[in-house]
Amino acid sequence: MKSLLSLTVNGRQRDDAVAGNLLLVDYLREVVGLTGTKIGCDGGECGLCTVLVDGKSQHACLTLAATCQGKSVETIESLADGGRLNAIQRGFHEKLGAQCGYCTPGMVMAAEGLLRENPDPDEATIRTEMASNICRCTGYVKIVEAVQFAADEIKRAGKGREAA
Amino acid sequence: MDGNGPVAPIRSIGVPMPMVDGPEKISGKAQYTADFYDHGALVGAIKRSPVAHARILSVDTSAAEALPGVHAVITGSETDEGHGVLPVSRTELPIAFDKVRYRGEPVAAVAADSIEIARQACDLIRVEYEELPAYFTAADSMADGTVDIHEHRPGNIERHVDYEIGDADAGFAEADLIHETEYHCAEVCQVQTEPHAAFAEYDGERDELTVRASTQVPYYVHLMLSKILKMRKSKIRVIKPYLGGGFGCRTEALNVEMITAMLARRAKGTVRTVISREDTFITHRGRPEQTVKIRMGMKKDGRVTAVECSTVQRGGAHSGYGIVTILYSGSMLFAIYDLQNVRYDGKRVLTNTPPCGAFRGHGTVNVRHAFENAMDEMAVKLGLDPFAVRRVNLIREMGHVANDLWVNSYGLPECLDIVEKASGWKDRKGKLPAGKGLGLACSHYVSGASKPVNWTGEPHATVNLKLDFDGSIVILTGASEIGQGSSTILVQCVSEVLGIDPARVKIIAADSRVTPKDNGSYSSRVTYMVGNAAIEAANNLKGVLIEAAARKLDVNPEDVECLGEVYRAGTQDEGMSFEDVVMAALEGTGTITVKGNFDTLPESWGGKKYRGAAIGGSMAFAYAAQVVEVTVDPDTAEIKVDKVWVAHDCGKALNPLTVEGQIQGSVWMGMGQAMTEETRYHDGLMITGNMLDYRVPTFVESPPIEAHIVESNDPHGPFGAKEAGEASLAGFLPALTSAVADALGVRVHELPVTPDRLMQALEDYERETGVAAE
Amino acid sequence: MEHMPDFTLHRPETAAEAVRLKASDANSRYLAGGTDMIVNVRRGIETPATMIDLTSIEEIASVSVEDGGVRIGAGVKLKDLASHPDIRARWTAVAEAAASVAGPTHRQYGTVGGNLCLDTRCLYYNQSQWWRESNNFCLKHKGEVCHVAPGGKRCFAAFSGDVAPAMLVFGATMDLEGPGGARTIPLADLYRNDGMDHLTLQDGELLVSVFLPAAPDGTVSSYEKARIRGSIDFPLAGAAVRLRMDGDMLADLDIALTAVNPYPHLVKGGDKFVGKPLDADALDAIREAVRTQAKPMRTTTVRPWYRRRVVGALARRLAARLAG
Repeated sequence: MKSLLSLTVNGRQRDDAVAGNLLLVDYLREVVGLTGTKIGCDGGECGLCTVLVDGKSQHACLTLAATCQGKSVETIESLADGGRLNAIQRGFHEKLGAQCGYCTPGMVMAAEGLLRENPDPDEATIRTEMASNICRCTGYVKIVEAVQFAADEIKRAGKGREAA
Repeated sequence: MDGNGPVAPIRSIGVPMPMVDGPEKISGKAQYTADFYDHGALVGAIKRSPVAHARILSVDTSAAEALPGVHAVITGSETDEGHGVLPVSRTELPIAFDKVRYRGEPVAAVAADSIEIARQACDLIRVEYEELPAYFTAADSMADGTVDIHEHRPGNIERHVDYEIGDADAGFAEADLIHETEYHCAEVCQVQTEPHAAFAEYDGERDELTVRASTQVPYYVHLMLSKILKMRKSKIRVIKPYLGGGFGCRTEALNVEMITAMLARRAKGTVRTVISREDTFITHRGRPEQTVKIRMGMKKDGRVTAVECSTVQRGGAHSGYGIVTILYSGSMLFAIYDLQNVRYDGKRVLTNTPPCGAFRGHGTVNVRHAFENAMDEMAVKLGLDPFAVRRVNLIREMGHVANDLWVNSYGLPECLDIVEKASGWKDRKGKLPAGKGLGLACSHYVSGASKPVNWTGEPHATVNLKLDFDGSIVILTGASEIGQGSSTILVQCVSEVLGIDPARVKIIAADSRVTPKDNGSYSSRVTYMVGNAAIEAANNLKGVLIEAAARKLDVNPEDVECLGEVYRAGTQDEGMSFEDVVMAALEGTGTITVKGNFDTLPESWGGKKYRGAAIGGSMAFAYAAQVVEVTVDPDTAEIKVDKVWVAHDCGKALNPLTVEGQIQGSVWMGMGQAMTEETRYHDGLMITGNMLDYRVPTFVESPPIEAHIVESNDPHGPFGAKEAGEASLAGFLPALTSAVADALGVRVHELPVTPDRLMQALEDYERETGVAAE
Repeated sequence: MEHMPDFTLHRPETAAEAVRLKASDANSRYLAGGTDMIVNVRRGIETPATMIDLTSIEEIASVSVEDGGVRIGAGVKLKDLASHPDIRARWTAVAEAAASVAGPTHRQYGTVGGNLCLDTRCLYYNQSQWWRESNNFCLKHKGEVCHVAPGGKRCFAAFSGDVAPAMLVFGATMDLEGPGGARTIPLADLYRNDGMDHLTLQDGELLVSVFLPAAPDGTVSSYEKARIRGSIDFPLAGAAVRLRMDGDMLADLDIALTAVNPYPHLVKGGDKFVGKPLDADALDAIREAVRTQAKPMRTTTVRPWYRRRVVGALARRLAARLAG
């Protein structure tokens, strides 16, 4: 039995008829058509499907789409800043936080969630607060650098705005 | 020309350049195989065997076929052609036919309207089995009176390799100390983050097939599809989309892509199959469980006089890379130290467990672990510093080593110097607080296998470059970008030769309809081989451009100076822009395509001293040394890796950023095998087939890894480069156990060194010696 | 599309409505964060016809510090519990336990109630449908045999929640609402020593909130667990310790364990250390008492031998550290 799901996905209001058992990750990938969010395991073990629900990171593979009624869901596709990579994405690009790239959307969203809450995390905080996400390529070293780069960029941009 | 300031070729080599396909991956735009959808696509699902070893008496698919929404049901009778890596052992069927040999082997497959219907159909397929005795350990499988898992491998020995190089007995006679030790390494799995997927479109009008697959070897997939489908190769197109890692488990055609293709043809449509993480684990092709015994003879100064290595690998139910793996384990004892006298005995055993394969560091890792530990154990006995023991055994002269491997560049001495200094070894070793320790180990790896598995007479690598009116250059290569950065490296190679802005250079990779054939991404071959081919292609193109510029400038080609974005005849000439040169080159000929090839030199093909001696043959070997520092929690026996210092001789860092990434990733993957990861079975049923029980390290316990690059400038490598993505893995394992031994005085001989194993070792030590560990 | 069994989803906005919906279908399950429940649904371990999502019920989603203690709604997220200043200061072990559950993302939407009512875990149970079927299922679910202790008729699946032991040492009580009305029980009574059926909740009962009574001044507490990885993993063994010193003498001690029994175990015999100094001998005795009462079985890839040893070591060092 389907019911109407009203929510915003990447800032755009949507209304879709969804079954109660539809997972958010399948809703995003197959109903909305946003395939940036990946699936890497059989449930909650890898973090690849991490999206933000009302600004907080959540596993889209363990979330029923219908429970996002009235909420805001953000995926990797929402982050571009004026058609260019945003600060976090730029950090992942410049610092090689992504190798094969398959964990990257979830990793970037986890970083996005972290930096919104804590704009100036130290290395230990980054490591603890992103530790639901598995990467198999980097050994995490350059991901930590990418997030630190992004935090610095955001700070610089903020200071720039203040000065202006 | 604007021409402000001196014009110079733009440098791309040695520049830490972010990956050319980074923005797509980081923005979610990159399409991996599972990201292909088609409104008409059917869903593929695989039914798997619940039993480990059995004859298949019957398969009844009638109920499944009758289910509404089911479009194709296939079984082992769909093809009688086997697949496999080596021509001599293509005995694996995409779907088991007469026999199943491991729990989880495909026995049927379905294409249906939805995953629910496909699953339901799988459940409706009835398979009748007659169970046979099953063997889950190498020892059980090799015992007398066992049933053969494969008819052509009596006694379940896939391959017994047995040879001697030099004179081992004479070497032991010369030794001041002879020491024997044994290490056991658990089976491990690649766990690339992307589960296996395939997307196959069958064109019924033309009887043609297009397959997108999550593979490192699209051309091997192409060959195997042609073989098992009995379709002309020209009727098949294989595309490798973005790939979520591989680490070796995708270096042979896997049943997922073959089954999906067979389903598409049978259903006369498009089929998308994405298997679960558990099924990806079961498809396996990981590193085998392996026991390694090392007997080593050493002089008082640490020189190794003889080595005897005997090892057994539990290979799983099919041949796969098995013979290659067991040969690598022997041949790669060499070419790292000056080793003259070696006796090797290796057994690759078939068992009723999922098939093993070619995991990063293929064949070398577990043997290197035992070897380096043996050296460290003897260093302790002889009161020698581990660095001194390595140094006294370094290779002195370039050229062929005792088993005929060809070493032309050797940065290991410098690697040792760097990590000794960076880790503060001299000041800190032996002086750390209780519970802390330092360990050292070295490792190496090939830069591509010099003799291809399938000898066809073609060059090892071919790259095409297309130059067109817009002044852009498109690299066409079959080389598979799998996250290692191969596409970026090829762009850099071409840009460097031409001296142009790398933004002009685009790359299209791994689409059999468009790109020249390439054997794939394995054995660290792409940078070395395809990189060299790209350089040759770019030089050929440069020649064409210089000729065209010479015509326009009315000078001889040798008088044309190529400055990348400007071509000129002498410093007074204002020159021609690159785009003008391009237009000149296109006059009369139109779009230009040039190519470059690469072939290995016969000197690198390995020896003939024993059967299979070609395995290990490579144009160049990369080297690494690493120091690992640990702290052990005395209450819980948990090991924390405080830091790793690693130096890797990659010949020349074409891209220092991606080289560092590869080194760090390798070291860290070694850490997983050393400390947390193991594949276990319950009566042949994989009990760790999920990412909770198979423990890939998380951010929290992963250490800082300080990567140093050593450039030994290989004489044959592209700009002097050799491999960067594998050699650093193996060293972590013995460096870790040696660091723990340094901290506690107790060496753990079983991997992974989980806290329970370490606590057991500590208590055994206390019981045996009557004293508590340090 | 991932394979998902079919079910009807309800999203009640009050606890009473949730209880009513639950009672209307015997084959229904409550769903909170879903970090464990949805995994089990995907694996065919849970096959409800109806799921009752609790995430819209505001009345169970807050923390209120009251006279004499703190009331924590079952729907409070683990992350919010872990970062709550009063809980961190006064019920430290509870905050530490919440902060250690799984990984950071799991804690963002995983709930207190979900962690307290977490299903027991076992290597032979937390597997896919295909896996369990190939293994002839097990005693806990659809099968006749326990693969951990073949021949036995008991299930040894281990309770692996982190929060419960930390709440146990504070004498927490549970407010339940059910078809028959509301009741309050000690947390210890929520569990029984049976891996197959470890919760004593009656049909349709909903855990509404937990009450942690204030501990006397000078009380200190802490939680620590052993696991292979520093994140995501369930505990192999965990210990919560709450104690109070009176000068050099131990005035009060409670220890509770997780992941080493089918229920969170409140260690017995702590009182015999009270009134004495917590010296090395006493600490060793505490360690041994813990090891004796922990009964880990072969339910994880890590040997029970280690889990028993380590849980004693953890309890000992927590006690030593807290005693100062």
